[in-house]
Amino acid sequence: MTSDAEIVRRVRDGDTAAFAVLVARYRDRLGRYAVHMLGDRGDAEEALQDAFVRAYRSLARCREDGQFGPWLFGILVNRCRTAGRRAARRHRMFVRDEVSLERASAPETSDRAEWDDTVRWAMERLAPPLREAFLLKHVEDMEYEEMSRLTGTGVSALKMRVMRAREQLRALLTEVERV
Amino acid sequence: MFDREEDVLDRVIDQLRRPVEMDPTLDAAVMSRVAAGEDRLGRLAAVWDWVSRPRDIAVSPLAGLGLAAVLVGIVVWLAGRSPQIAAPAAGPSTVQFVVVAPGAASVSLVGDFNDWDGGATPMQATRNGALWSVTVPLTPGRYRYAFLVNGSRWLADPAAPRVQDDFDAPSSVVTVGG
Repeated sequence: MTSDAEIVRRVRDGDTAAFAVLVARYRDRLGRYAVHMLGDRGDAEEALQDAFVRAYRSLARCREDGQFGPWLFGILVNRCRTAGRRAARRHRMFVRDEVSLERASAPETSDRAEWDDTVRWAMERLAPPLREAFLLKHVEDMEYEEMSRLTGTGVSALKMRVMRAREQLRALLTEVERV
Repeated sequence: MFDREEDVLDRVIDQLRRPVEMDPTLDAAVMSRVAAGEDRLGRLAAVWDWVSRPRDIAVSPLAGLGLAAVLVGIVVWLAGRSPQIAAPAAGPSTVQFVVVAPGAASVSLVGDFNDWDGGATPMQATRNGALWSVTVPLTPGRYRYAFLVNGSRWLADPAAPRVQDDFDAPSSVVTVGG
């Protein structure tokens, strides 16, 4: 597989079409974060498109070619913040991810769908900064230092956010269990 | 439902870590936007490069005086003229259409402007054949269009508003301002 660094160099040298390889490579990986962060597949795709286009236009600012992935992720995090604020203004509710539900295997469809909805419901109730920190730490598996570079937030503040997110999720889902 | 409170978080994390598949047409939409932006930026950069490129010009003192006299004459002549503002010409605008179709043997642009004739507006492949583009003059108006890949596959523009045509085939809409 051609490395990110090699593709970035080709794009910088004028091979625009090579950028499509990076888009295909990172589409689903970054899409997962956008879908969970924004809770809406349409908003997530829009944010993801914007992130890729912005990355292309400012590729000269990606100082280390081998660090394209983390650099792109940082752009997406910012796009999701902007999209999240816009969505909040529209008062949009989280919606069911129809595509994921369709792909769930038949025997567990009802349980899976119910659990999907429960997780989405709980994630929606987290404040965006808590949701962002929780996803980066526990879903994207990042170190706090990396999260700090990416979000511009201090490590101790991020640790606090993750802890609060964990507490709130635990409380919310335990409450669901009792109902 | 859960044995221990910690199990709840583990299950949430497992659920959120499941792969999410995004719509693959997103790639084409991104590349269309990239190509459209590059085309504009590329033209601007070329013009700017030409205008801003430093040049060495050797002029003899006599020729320099002559040139200065000519410039002064032009300025005086322009100052004496009454201002004339040319009315903007109402003509067609140039619109570039771009689509990503890697591996295609041919791609044509079809639409209201060419009576949906698959042979009227062939698109040209750029570089490695993944990007296809064509530029057409269009007078102000709203046009429906689509891409015809290999003469048979109908493709709407992923980067433009989509409509269904009378035959349930997807097509796109472009509005050209006056």
